[in-house]
Amino acid sequence: MATFIQLVIDGLSLGSIYAALALAIVMVNQATGMINFAQGAMAVVSAYVAYAVLARGIPVILAIVAAVIISFLLGAVIERTLIRRFEQGDPDTAVVVTIGLLTLFTGVAGWIWGYNNRQFPSLFPLSTVDIMGAVVSIRAIGTTLVIVAIMVALQLLFRMTKLGLALRAVSVNPTSAALSGLPVGRLLMVGWGLAASLGAVAGSLIAPQLTLTPGMMDTALVYALAAVIIGGAKSPIGAVTAAWVIGVLENLAAVYVPVIGYDLKVIVPFILLFVLLLIRPQGLFGRRVVVRV
Amino acid sequence: MEQILLLKENRWVRLGLWVAVLVILAVMPLQLPIIANQTIARIGVFAVAVLGLNIIMGYSGQVMLGQIFFLGLGAYVTANGVTGEWSIALTFLAAAVIPGIVGLVVAMAAARLGGLAIAMVTIALPIIGVPLAKRLEDLTGGSQGMSARFSSAPEWSGLDNDQWQYYVIIGIAVVVYALTRNFVRGKYGRAMAIVRTNEAVAVSMGVSPYRYKVMAFTIASILGGISGFLYMFAVQFISPESMNFVHSINLLAAMIVGGAASIAGSLIGGAYYVMVPQLTNAIDPTLTAISQGIILVAVLFILPGGLVSLPRVISNAIRKRRGAAPSQPMEETTSPPVTTHTE
Repeated sequence: MATFIQLVIDGLSLGSIYAALALAIVMVNQATGMINFAQGAMAVVSAYVAYAVLARGIPVILAIVAAVIISFLLGAVIERTLIRRFEQGDPDTAVVVTIGLLTLFTGVAGWIWGYNNRQFPSLFPLSTVDIMGAVVSIRAIGTTLVIVAIMVALQLLFRMTKLGLALRAVSVNPTSAALSGLPVGRLLMVGWGLAASLGAVAGSLIAPQLTLTPGMMDTALVYALAAVIIGGAKSPIGAVTAAWVIGVLENLAAVYVPVIGYDLKVIVPFILLFVLLLIRPQGLFGRRVVVRV
Repeated sequence: MEQILLLKENRWVRLGLWVAVLVILAVMPLQLPIIANQTIARIGVFAVAVLGLNIIMGYSGQVMLGQIFFLGLGAYVTANGVTGEWSIALTFLAAAVIPGIVGLVVAMAAARLGGLAIAMVTIALPIIGVPLAKRLEDLTGGSQGMSARFSSAPEWSGLDNDQWQYYVIIGIAVVVYALTRNFVRGKYGRAMAIVRTNEAVAVSMGVSPYRYKVMAFTIASILGGISGFLYMFAVQFISPESMNFVHSINLLAAMIVGGAASIAGSLIGGAYYVMVPQLTNAIDPTLTAISQGIILVAVLFILPGGLVSLPRVISNAIRKRRGAAPSQPMEETTSPPVTTHTE
């Protein structure tokens, strides 16, 4: 039982990080209809930015906040300069652009900071607490709580503020939004900025565990994409739920299913995915889309 | 200039050009140094992989991020065939068919979801492939990898090893290219094109997008498997890291830089995949990834049709400057005007 609780909480904390990345992907997808494959690589660059700020002797929490702000600006600039001209065109080309950015950002990180693993300090103390006999790290609990808090804040932003309303309007119908006087271009920049900030949080929280390398988020990206498909590409709640389910299940499978083990646990979300695709091809929370000529 | 362009479309000139290319390909390895032969052979290997990627991405419009997985799978099957002492024909067949079956299964699940699901699912293939190859030690040799020496030149040929490898690889690649060219110009190619442009129209014409996506994906994985066989023939060693995610992205980049939905573009893509990292590594290894990213993004901005569209873009630009109306983009599928222009 003790192991079980420990695995579930660790799984939730990993799942939270996938959830943050998945949420960033869903946010971009809602706003522009594209899947940003560079979201993980952007998060890596953000984590390196936090690392660079840290190196100036600034405390971890402030370094992460700085990285979040810088990432917001970076995301907005990328949308304006690189993505904007592909938004109205062929969606496949747009995807390839994001794949190009994935290579580019990984390359930038490798070029500036090299390919060696770098230690990134944890935001939380490394001690553990005792919950019903299980030894649970404070880091796991803290990571989960931070991500939950961010999600609540985002929900409030989208439901309670004028900016949120405008962002939702742009994602539902950009043409009508523009006709009602909304600055669509600027709102798209905000959307990309928010997504990049979320990525910055995910990157900074996962970096202590994985150590910082340019390819750090490649696997996390795969988990996040799986969560996005399982949850339904347009559903933030679906993506987050799916990410948590994936995080917990893969941790349990790694220990209780010997065939899988820690090295092959990346297979778990895809077994889930295959089963789901056979039963509910539109995703857990997705809706069937009707296409007309 | 215009006359030269028209001359290009004359049937006999085209045939003559092809014969000339084949003769050059046949004579070249006897003259070139070993390293050049090996490089050309590698270009042949990856040109086949890029061609497969082009079938699913360029011709059918489905973004696919896992091609390196099928190359790796084909290479592992080949290595097993060699150590198990299967006949070479059987090994080749298995290296093509097994990845094809895996591709079929993956595609049947992934193509059920519209849009970008194929991209999102196939990105996982190399990510799963690497730990899987490390785990299945009996079949893959684990992290150590597997080597298989089966491509030494036979005595009767009187060739050096590098020349023999060159001939086999280029021979198979030429056959694969010829078959694929006919395939994409025929009935299936047209069906794939309509699936790419408008799925709803495809359905109304009785073309099932699902089936054609699955078919294109399967062919792509078969070509991936064949390129895996060729890879083994050229390199004689495969390890899990050969299936790294980064290589898969680079294959895709090579396809785009060469030219999507173009046979010649795939060939350029293969050359790009082999040559450019060699060049950048020689300058500074840390620049390799960043330069790949910059080149890909730059091509998408400036030359969306890839390098293969460069002559057309230039000739259009020249005509524009002369004040004439720019010519229609010449689709490969349109029948060339029957003319007998001479100089």
